[in-house]
Amino acid sequence: MLFEFDPDQRLWQGSVREVVAKECPPALVRAVADDGADTVALWKVYAGLGWTELTDPAEAVELAIVLEELGRATDPTPYLATMTQFAPLAPGAGEPERTGAAVLDGVTARRDGRGWVLEGTARHVLDGDRADRLAVVTGEGVFVVDAAEVTATRAAVFDPVLHVADVAFGGVRVGQEQRTGADPGRARHIALAGMAMTMVGACRRILDLTLEHVRTRHQFGAPIGSFQAVQHKAADMHVAVERAKALAYFAALTIAADDPRRRVAAAMAKAAAGECQSLVVRHGLQLFGAMGFTWENDLQFALKRALAGEQLLGGAAEHRALIAKECHAVEL
Amino acid sequence: MQLSFDAEVEDFRAEFAAFLDEHLPPAAEADRASQSSSDVPEWARRWQRLQFDHGWLLPGNPPEYGGRDATLVQQYVHLLELSRRRIYHSFNPQGVGIVAASLLSFGTEEQKRRWAVPILRAEITASLGMSEPGAGSDLASLRTRAVLDGDHFVVNGQKVWTSGAHDADVLLTFVRTDPDAPKHKGISVLLIPTATPGVTRRPFASIIGSHDVDFNEVFFEDVRVPAANLVGPLNEGWRVANGSLGHERTLLWLSFGERLDEFIRDFEPAGPLDEDAYATAVLDAYALRLLGSAALAQAARGEQDVAGLSVLKLLGSEAAQRALERALSSAGPDGLAHPALTAPYTHLQSETMLGSWFERYARSFAGTIAGGTSEIQRTIVAERVLGLPRR
Ligand SMILES: Cc1cc2nc3c(=O)[nH]c(=O)nc-3n(C[C@H](O)[C@H](O)[C@H](O)COP(=O)(O)OP(=O)(O)OC[C@H]3O[C@@H](n4cnc5c(N)ncnc54)[C@H](O)[C@@H]3O)c2cc1C
Repeated sequence: MLFEFDPDQRLWQGSVREVVAKECPPALVRAVADDGADTVALWKVYAGLGWTELTDPAEAVELAIVLEELGRATDPTPYLATMTQFAPLAPGAGEPERTGAAVLDGVTARRDGRGWVLEGTARHVLDGDRADRLAVVTGEGVFVVDAAEVTATRAAVFDPVLHVADVAFGGVRVGQEQRTGADPGRARHIALAGMAMTMVGACRRILDLTLEHVRTRHQFGAPIGSFQAVQHKAADMHVAVERAKALAYFAALTIAADDPRRRVAAAMAKAAAGECQSLVVRHGLQLFGAMGFTWENDLQFALKRALAGEQLLGGAAEHRALIAKECHAVEL
Repeated sequence: MQLSFDAEVEDFRAEFAAFLDEHLPPAAEADRASQSSSDVPEWARRWQRLQFDHGWLLPGNPPEYGGRDATLVQQYVHLLELSRRRIYHSFNPQGVGIVAASLLSFGTEEQKRRWAVPILRAEITASLGMSEPGAGSDLASLRTRAVLDGDHFVVNGQKVWTSGAHDADVLLTFVRTDPDAPKHKGISVLLIPTATPGVTRRPFASIIGSHDVDFNEVFFEDVRVPAANLVGPLNEGWRVANGSLGHERTLLWLSFGERLDEFIRDFEPAGPLDEDAYATAVLDAYALRLLGSAALAQAARGEQDVAGLSVLKLLGSEAAQRALERALSSAGPDGLAHPALTAPYTHLQSETMLGSWFERYARSFAGTIAGGTSEIQRTIVAERVLGLPRR
């Protein structure tokens, strides 16, 4: 195989970068974290550009390019949840300007007449408190439910820009027309690849900020980035990011091509992203010195996004366990 | 981005596979295994010559030098096919991969005919004399002197670590020809036949065991080398050095991929810790292939990123080392047995890569030390890829 962006993809990446730099600058993220600034306008920009229509799995690489850049910028909108968790569970749901979230467990469906009744409380639902719609995975299938039907409570989490909620279903009636027929297994591959891509983007941001810091911060009469102990940590961060990024795009590519390796590829992407954040967060925070330990420094946003990703959808060790069981040869 | 190669590349692979199926020497022919980097048994010489004559030895070369003008991507699948079948490319790896390649890039027509072709056809073997006792990572500080005396250079000095020198017919030797110039500017390259009076080779054993003799000290005492054996321009040896190692580096990462693949095939995880390490090796192997193929595609576009290759070497060599350490550890007391083979020896493989887990682990340090240590690679990544300031 040959693993390189083609010219169209490079062009796409360039234009996504431009938009993100302009529309989702660090100041906006800071305003969301400190003052609870609204993100609806930003979401409308994404929708206006057609980014919320990238739901066809064939466009998984193009979506991954957006996700990497948004991960890098600590996107404060529900884009990740909508595109990689809700949409794959709700194919054909339409209305790409509306947001969505996925309820993956904790809810049961009980047959009731011609429909079903949904009961239970799902924990740790990404954007469960602010999505317009929810795709709910149950033993009876996947149902799309309007947010007005449920009670969601946002949890206080360490990432100040991230929305995570407990979502309670107190006897929500659903009908056949709300059942999507989506395959949760496949949807999970997309969710994993998306989360991995977000983490890769966040790790790249940590590396960028760290490089900038070690180039400009002087101690002992020299930029600290000229000290070998610092340089070698930076080099290891770069290798970790490149490794995780390659595996995240590989997962996107297998999804786009509907390649049978996508199950393992998605697990590899999430595992590698987890390993990457472990090293990049540790070295990045260390190399910033006390400056990185402050609320005021923007490093915190990327750090927390990378760490939060590890907590969601299974950590690196869990995915490695799956890979060990399924992989016995490398054929590329 | 593509998950498979273009049809034209697959056709190329199929043609090579058919060649292998038809011509691979049977085990019965292999009466002797190679004992060093420049020891090529008669049967392996015939096999290498056959590949040369069919244009399959180095497919990127023109036909007169054992190739078929293949593209970089075709060269890649050629190596992938060898690696998939665990066929060692050449039992004189430095000779074929570095010495002959340097002669073809920098040598005169006469040097190509007289030395490069015989090395490629395994009529003679070659070793690489770069390192010295005082010049390892800091290769440019090498001190072996060559002084022009009429139509000969007179060489005095010492090399070390020269793999296979005791079995080699010629040494590609880096010497100092201008001691007054800045250190990178006074180096030249000479091709020195080992039979020349004044050349003394002293082979010595490696950490693997007293039987594993590949390293050499090579001493030069008033060795007279014809000036015609100067490779590349006088005092431009540093350029040749970078070229030589460049040849090695473009696809060097693939050898670490092979080590990882062998681990993945041969290691039986027992328990969760093993499985965890095993999965890490799978991730490393995939990531290496993906990044390596991206670098290759970039080079094929004529945008070779030499510093970027350091990422591949670092990732591959250290991943293989981590995996092999785990395999040894997991073997428990059985891992003490030495040199018990943990995989069947077949004549077309490099025997050295099939030894005990101890041997494989120990050999992984060749990957993290030779060809620029991991520390040197990290500095290259930091300064030349990430642009951090130099001291
Ligand atoms: C199996 C094997 C086969 C070899 N075959 C050949 C051969 O055929 N021909 C040949 O010419 N050579 C050969 N070599 C030698 C090889 O090229 C050298 O070992 C290599 O260049 C490193 O040099 P050194 O061993 O002297 O280590 P040194 O340079 O002394 O390094 C020792 C340690 O110091 C570290 N170090 C050195 N400089 C720096 C720095 N600037 N910053 C940070 N850390 C530093 C290194 O990373 C290393 O950890 C072989 C080596 C091995 C292991």
